[in-house]
Amino acid sequence: MVYLAAAALAGGILCGMAGLDETFPVRAITYGRDYILYVLMFLVGISIGLHRGIIGKIKEYHVRIFVIPAGIIAGSLAGGIISGLITGLPMNQSTAVAAGMGWYSLTGAAVGNLAGAQAGSVAFLSNLLREIFSFFSIPFISKKLNYYTCIAPAGATSEDTTLPMMIRYTDEENVVLSVFNGVICSAAVPFLISFCYNFF
Amino acid sequence: MDVIIVMCLGVLAGKFFFPEKWKRINEILQTVCTVLLIFSMGVMLGSRENFIGEISELGMRSVLFFLIPSVTSVIIVYPLTRIFLDKKSQKKREGE
Repeated sequence: MVYLAAAALAGGILCGMAGLDETFPVRAITYGRDYILYVLMFLVGISIGLHRGIIGKIKEYHVRIFVIPAGIIAGSLAGGIISGLITGLPMNQSTAVAAGMGWYSLTGAAVGNLAGAQAGSVAFLSNLLREIFSFFSIPFISKKLNYYTCIAPAGATSEDTTLPMMIRYTDEENVVLSVFNGVICSAAVPFLISFCYNFF
Repeated sequence: MDVIIVMCLGVLAGKFFFPEKWKRINEILQTVCTVLLIFSMGVMLGSRENFIGEISELGMRSVLFFLIPSVTSVIIVYPLTRIFLDKKSQKKREGE
């Protein structure tokens, strides 16, 4: 799967650079991205539905279910501060960029509006790279650490695009936790960007 | 939100209608969809005007801004899950 994903990414970049993005199959895939995501989510839902007794298992977590999103938000902001110190980007911009937690479309636009085009480009690229990185890190983390930690690099994307990797390399219980985390992180992103930019 | 609704419909389909014997086909279709999504991400990156220039100019900064927050998230989440979540499954395993 990892090799397939790497080949798909490289193939996509090459097609884009070669100007093939407006030719038939490539255009259909990029324009139909939302529909592909819907189909994927439906299929992931089927996998969860086939797994009996999962809701009961999730109920056992109670408030501890918030441990993962809280850790991801704290870790992302801490990472933003460290990255800002290394690159010299002002703290308010660096934390706003990291607060995207992989949601590149919203973060790119929001940071671009607040801090200018260059910061917006960094926000877009870094969050897109985070989403791509999480695809490739999930197999490694599931093997070396634990299933729960696979959700950490995925951040706000753990409710949609990175789910198939979760279901492949972890289990159905972790997939439900992943969706829950994605909802919490996604809801927090717009607030965090604005908060970080204005108060750091 | 609409993505979550679609997934919930899938959960219902899986619980009530979807035959268990088609599980493998479902997995294959998931892989196909994932590959197509990653491909479209690549196209989006590659088709950005001045992609190479952008990567060389902002690339290092962007790499730091994705890598460090991702790694710090892992560094914080892993011990938290060991303390608060792993114990539960460990206890359950001991109970069994």
